[in-house]
Amino acid sequence: MDRTEALLIADLCEGDETALAPLIERYKRMVYRLAVQITKNRADADDVMQETFIKVYRSIHTFRKDATFETWLYRIAVNEALNFVRRRDRRRECSLETSAESEYELTVCQNAQVANDPHAQAEKSELRQHVTAAVNSLPLKHRTVVILHEFEGLTHAEIASILNCSEGTVRSRLHYARKKLRILLKPYMDARTL
Amino acid sequence: MRSKCQKIERLISDYIDGRLPEQQAADVTSHIYSCGSCKREVTELRKTKHLLKNFYIEPEAPDIYYAQFATRLQQRIEESAPTAPHQRIAAAVTRFGWQLRTQVYRYTDYFRLSRFISIRQHAVPYYVLGLTMLMLIATPFLLTHFPLENRNEYANSPSTAVHNAVTLAADQENAASHSINTRRNLNSERTMETPVVDSGSDIWKFTNDRVVDGYIFTTLEKKDSDKVPSVALDIDSELLTYAEFPAQDATSERLTGRDVLTDRRYALLLLRGINTSQQARQEYQRKRSEFRGFSHKLLDVPLEMMSVEVGYDLIEL
Repeated sequence: MDRTEALLIADLCEGDETALAPLIERYKRMVYRLAVQITKNRADADDVMQETFIKVYRSIHTFRKDATFETWLYRIAVNEALNFVRRRDRRRECSLETSAESEYELTVCQNAQVANDPHAQAEKSELRQHVTAAVNSLPLKHRTVVILHEFEGLTHAEIASILNCSEGTVRSRLHYARKKLRILLKPYMDARTL
Repeated sequence: MRSKCQKIERLISDYIDGRLPEQQAADVTSHIYSCGSCKREVTELRKTKHLLKNFYIEPEAPDIYYAQFATRLQQRIEESAPTAPHQRIAAAVTRFGWQLRTQVYRYTDYFRLSRFISIRQHAVPYYVLGLTMLMLIATPFLLTHFPLENRNEYANSPSTAVHNAVTLAADQENAASHSINTRRNLNSERTMETPVVDSGSDIWKFTNDRVVDGYIFTTLEKKDSDKVPSVALDIDSELLTYAEFPAQDATSERLTGRDVLTDRRYALLLLRGINTSQQARQEYQRKRSEFRGFSHKLLDVPLEMMSVEVGYDLIEL
């Protein structure tokens, strides 16, 4: 029986653990995507994803209907990921640990499909790599806003609610992120594939 | 021109997203036709947006990863679940508390004031002023229709009412002939009321107009005898008096030492002979200290009320 989201949330509030699995099924890709994009590392993203869903399970009773469940989940996932990155960066500063962020950048190009025109595909693949690298090179705050706005399609108000800041701050961060991306991607704007 | 460009630059991001109001969008459009640098910026930002939209590959994981993730998550939740009985109880209590909190939240959220009326923060002083005016207007009306005096009837403590009502009146015929405690007012400051005596039954009913819905019951029992003495205060009888408010249908009963005395229930015990028996008096004092709650209530009874002849075994109380 397919239970509606509201029913699943109500059941989870009542302590019915079986309601968690369908919710994970619905939102796992979204949370994974966000976690990888913010942490830039698949192993770290796995930790973030676990923490996110455990937090959902334990804090579902604090969810109030003044926001949608999706926005609430975005807020948890983004904050978990941001906290994770900050903790990781602090650890790295202390232990001089080497960066593990390149893993995601390198694996991105594996998704490029092999097509009939190897040259065009190689060019596209290279472009994808550059675009992804450009986004990943943005500062954490700017990258988060770009991810939420450009890729997740959230409005300024929703992003402001998730990041607990004003809409003006979101607009400003997005503007500066775009300007920086424009500079980084300028060499590829005249590419044949565009 | 420079300041105009700076102004337009702030709007460009919303312009390429198509989020600008019509008038502002028209301003930006007209400006970029006349300004080469702004036009170039808009074009490049559009291309950037296009690149992000079409060439950024969002990370994706194989299905096997999600399947394993669900299993791992389930395991982690189970591992973190409490196993010891006391932990389970604590978890259950916590969960119940959270559920209750959730329900309260929902309830209060549903009936929140702003759902029915629109409250603007700047108008709050006016609301307070209006409420104060309303109270000022309503108070004389309320005091006229619900005078405080009426309400004070029950505000008087029950013990005061008992003191008002309980007068150890004896049988109308024999009262005068008995010298001890036949008529005694527990509180000399109170007016003594004449009881209505139902001599045909074991229960003497005392009424007092000043006590609304209150009744005093007096039971007379003769020691080692089933019969109720016709004389109110026989030399061998015990007088057990208690009052119960405001139950009108209260029945007479003996108090026991374990009875819990509440504010609505007071016992007055006439102990015969305590004043004449030093041993009985000491026993009473000892018992009184033991039954602290009970004796506390008894403290309302003037000590001279105990001036009767026969010692009473408080264990029976």
